[in-house]
Amino acid sequence: MKSADNMLLNLKNDLLNTTNFVQLGEVEVRYLGRNGQVNDLMKKLKDLSVIERSEQGKKLNQLKANVETLINEKRKELTHKEDFEKKIDITLPGVKIPKGSLHLVSYAIEEIEKIFKKLGFIRMSYPEVEWEYFSFEALNMPSNHPARDDFETFFIDSPKDKNFGRMVLTPHTSSGQIREMLRVKEPPIRMINIGKTYRPNWDASHVPMFHQFEGLCIDENINITHLKGTIDFFAKEFFGSDREIRLRPFHFQFTEPSFEVDITCDICKGQGMVGDKKCRLCKQGWLELGGTGMVHPNVLKSGGIDSQRYTGWAFGFGVERVMMMKPGIGVSNMRVLYDSDIRINEQF
Amino acid sequence: MNIKITYNFLLDYLETDATAYELQKFLSLCGPSIETVEPVYDRNNKIEDYVLDIEITSNRIDMASVFGIAQEAAAILPQFGKKARLKQIPSKIYSFKTLKAEPLPNIKLNVEIKDAELCQRFTAMGFEIDSVGQTPELISRRLKLCDISSINTVVDISNYIMISLGQPTHMFDLDKIAGKKLILRKSVAGEKMTTLDGKSFTLPGEDIVIEDGDGKIIDMCGIMGAENSAINNDTTKILFFVQTYNKTYIRKTSMKTGQRSVAATYFEKGLDPNNVETAFAYGVELLNQHLSPSACTELIDIYPHKVKNEVISITKRQIDNIIGIPIEKEKIGKILEDLGFIVKSSDIKLDDHLFHVTVPTSRINDVSIKEDIIEEVARIYGYHNLPNNLPPMTFIRQPKELDLLLNTVSRVKSFLKHIGLNEFLQYSMISGNLLKSLDIDINNCLKIANSISTEIEYMRPSLLPSMILALEKNEGKKDHLNFFEVAKVYLTNKNSLPDEEFRLSLGSTESIFKVKGVIEALLKDLAISNFEFKAKNNNPLFSTHQQAEILINGQSVGEIGKLAQKYINNREIKKDLFVAEIDIWKLAQKASSVLPFAPISPYATVKRDITMKLKNKSFNDFEKTCFKLSKYLNKIDYLGSFENNITIRLYFTSHEENISETLVSNEVEKILKKDN
Repeated sequence: MKSADNMLLNLKNDLLNTTNFVQLGEVEVRYLGRNGQVNDLMKKLKDLSVIERSEQGKKLNQLKANVETLINEKRKELTHKEDFEKKIDITLPGVKIPKGSLHLVSYAIEEIEKIFKKLGFIRMSYPEVEWEYFSFEALNMPSNHPARDDFETFFIDSPKDKNFGRMVLTPHTSSGQIREMLRVKEPPIRMINIGKTYRPNWDASHVPMFHQFEGLCIDENINITHLKGTIDFFAKEFFGSDREIRLRPFHFQFTEPSFEVDITCDICKGQGMVGDKKCRLCKQGWLELGGTGMVHPNVLKSGGIDSQRYTGWAFGFGVERVMMMKPGIGVSNMRVLYDSDIRINEQF
Repeated sequence: MNIKITYNFLLDYLETDATAYELQKFLSLCGPSIETVEPVYDRNNKIEDYVLDIEITSNRIDMASVFGIAQEAAAILPQFGKKARLKQIPSKIYSFKTLKAEPLPNIKLNVEIKDAELCQRFTAMGFEIDSVGQTPELISRRLKLCDISSINTVVDISNYIMISLGQPTHMFDLDKIAGKKLILRKSVAGEKMTTLDGKSFTLPGEDIVIEDGDGKIIDMCGIMGAENSAINNDTTKILFFVQTYNKTYIRKTSMKTGQRSVAATYFEKGLDPNNVETAFAYGVELLNQHLSPSACTELIDIYPHKVKNEVISITKRQIDNIIGIPIEKEKIGKILEDLGFIVKSSDIKLDDHLFHVTVPTSRINDVSIKEDIIEEVARIYGYHNLPNNLPPMTFIRQPKELDLLLNTVSRVKSFLKHIGLNEFLQYSMISGNLLKSLDIDINNCLKIANSISTEIEYMRPSLLPSMILALEKNEGKKDHLNFFEVAKVYLTNKNSLPDEEFRLSLGSTESIFKVKGVIEALLKDLAISNFEFKAKNNNPLFSTHQQAEILINGQSVGEIGKLAQKYINNREIKKDLFVAEIDIWKLAQKASSVLPFAPISPYATVKRDITMKLKNKSFNDFEKTCFKLSKYLNKIDYLGSFENNITIRLYFTSHEENISETLVSNEVEKILKKDN
């Protein structure tokens, strides 16, 4: 069996030059494949006498086993090298995948929409350029009413409509209340109107355009506890389950009773004190969230809803405001959101 | 508005065991918001008093006084287990009847009210004094703590009445009113006067003023008296003056002249004419205490139409239905009475109760419907005592179109973010200069009539100007800028509201093919397959040969282009900009969630890379021809261009059999031949 000895020698030599699994595969085919060297010898067995065949057969089987062992050893060796010896600096950066960003307001809107969806509120979108009537008169704010001062307003340079007055940029999303009542005609109503709002105020801490979300719920037997429950639900979903809300009496023309909603401060956990110092962020442990109330009967009337049969509540909160109040966001000035600076925007 | 009062001042009217901080906590929950409590220290550095800064909502001007707050406190504090009781109710103590009999008047005042609509109640009386005097320490100190400077006894008393009872009053120097004549009338535009703070005004017209009969205006009523009749150190005759005016006029004048005096912030909200008498009598009491004056005119009181109390009827059930839990009828009655309402009640049905609630005249501007009564009960009962309930579940269908539109907006934003673009949100209003610099006709844009800056004067008719601006602003801040925005544009309509259309804008500093690639990827993600970029040259905003219409199923949904060199020059932009704008609604209508499944051929695919010249054909047309020529051609990949050559990879396969290399070579030959 000289050829067998030679073969093992050659194999050993081949394996010495084998450094990866591809090469090893080639070697394996060369020796153990269908047309490999071991099989070539096997094929010759049939030419031998029975006795020689049995003897040679045993030898060839031994050879085959030896070849397999050598190859397997090499495989082990390569495996070990690959898994245990090959070093890289895993702390080098990964392949850079471009990371885009959304505006902070987009995240907020999506989250707000989802939270209210759970309660069966549908999202609506109403005109941003609106008639004075829908922005004020229909909301129980006749012209010359001082309450209109709270909603300083941009007017559009266009002729007055004889029924609806001038065109304005909506100073609040509340005009959507009337629009939704007129659309639905007969309650139930569960609406969340998210949109852009505008006020002529542009300085270090004000922007002339911002976003609000307006909730409106009208049905039979809707009362103050439903308003409290809904806002409490929102506050816990949006800000965290450890936050509490409270209502304080307030005045808005379009709601009666009217409230301001406060939420416990995240910094002092509603205590008003951090250690022995007054909390810098809040007033006595509470932060103002926004305005709300039970829909005024005059507003229901403007929306064509029977105020004897139906009651409802509404609220209007600032999108940027609630987002900035979210723990850990760290944006304290609304202007930053509208500076259109890539170094800011790409962070979100 | 906010008012400041002090804790000790409040204790003049209120007996309570609540501390200043407890007042703050409890009143803020049920009534006026006490924003801050500041301790006041005496000489020995001990706290002697507290200043309370209180927010007064516009409907509750009746509460903007020490007594007003005391009354709220008397109703609220017992709900929190605190003792609270009103020590005195001024209207029950002070009235014209309490005025002492005076020496006979020697001066006759001549008052004429030209228009009864202007002034509900007019009271005045002249007094002779020795001198304007030195204000007693208690009054001047309290005024200072309440942010009002102390001037002299006469003026200080006037201000002290306002803080105590919420009724502004005025003191004239009677000697300076030459004819002792007071004509209350509307001003004529252009009349001139100087108020006692030295500011001169040309009146806008339709302002309530008092003229002395000589054409001299001595009062901008409800706002500020004139300099020409002001009290000074030599004054020996004063005219004490207490009125209520038509709030609408006061407000208009105050806003138009910009003279926002404290008095104006009271009068413009509408005051109770019945409180005039109380304030007047209290004022005379203070004058008597500190200046011992003698009357020199008769008391004038013109009050033709007495304000009547309103009665509101409401049932317990109506109250419970809005509050959401049952409130005991005794509790309802007690709350309302503590607030100064008069309540008569009777059982109506077995389980219901009827209340007839008489509204005090101080509240008639604010309380006029059932809901107002409910608010009073609910807030004093305490919103914090109400449970949290979710509204009953009900299904509301969102309008399908809006659902689709908003869903598409959300998909578009999320996709673009995830492939590496940055979203910007920009103002809907842009400057005329920006529009002009891009040759966009401002006459087609909505203009803001009262803008506060030329930067935000027009409603944008397209998102592209602000996209260009955003790219411009961020030039150099990063190697490549790839931005997008989803927002409404405003398209003018004649005599009706504009069309508000949701659009997507894209902008890049890289190349037109970057923007095109983004759009192609986006369309594929929206499962839109039949789209095409059709070269065009009709939009002057873009370079003639670098613009295209974006078509889906042959319908235009937007356009893409390189910003024309003219505008790059105009705006001094350093790099080329590539932008696109797409109508989201049109996109939404074509979008679906997934494309139909295409089965995979079980037979081999043969690939061939070829490099060739396209000559005069567009790649788009070439592609179409290729597919027409070879039924085995499955896909073409564009690999790149070099000079005039393009390199493409062709994929051939058949769904019926394995195809041979020879067959593929023939197919490639056909394609090459045809094109050459």
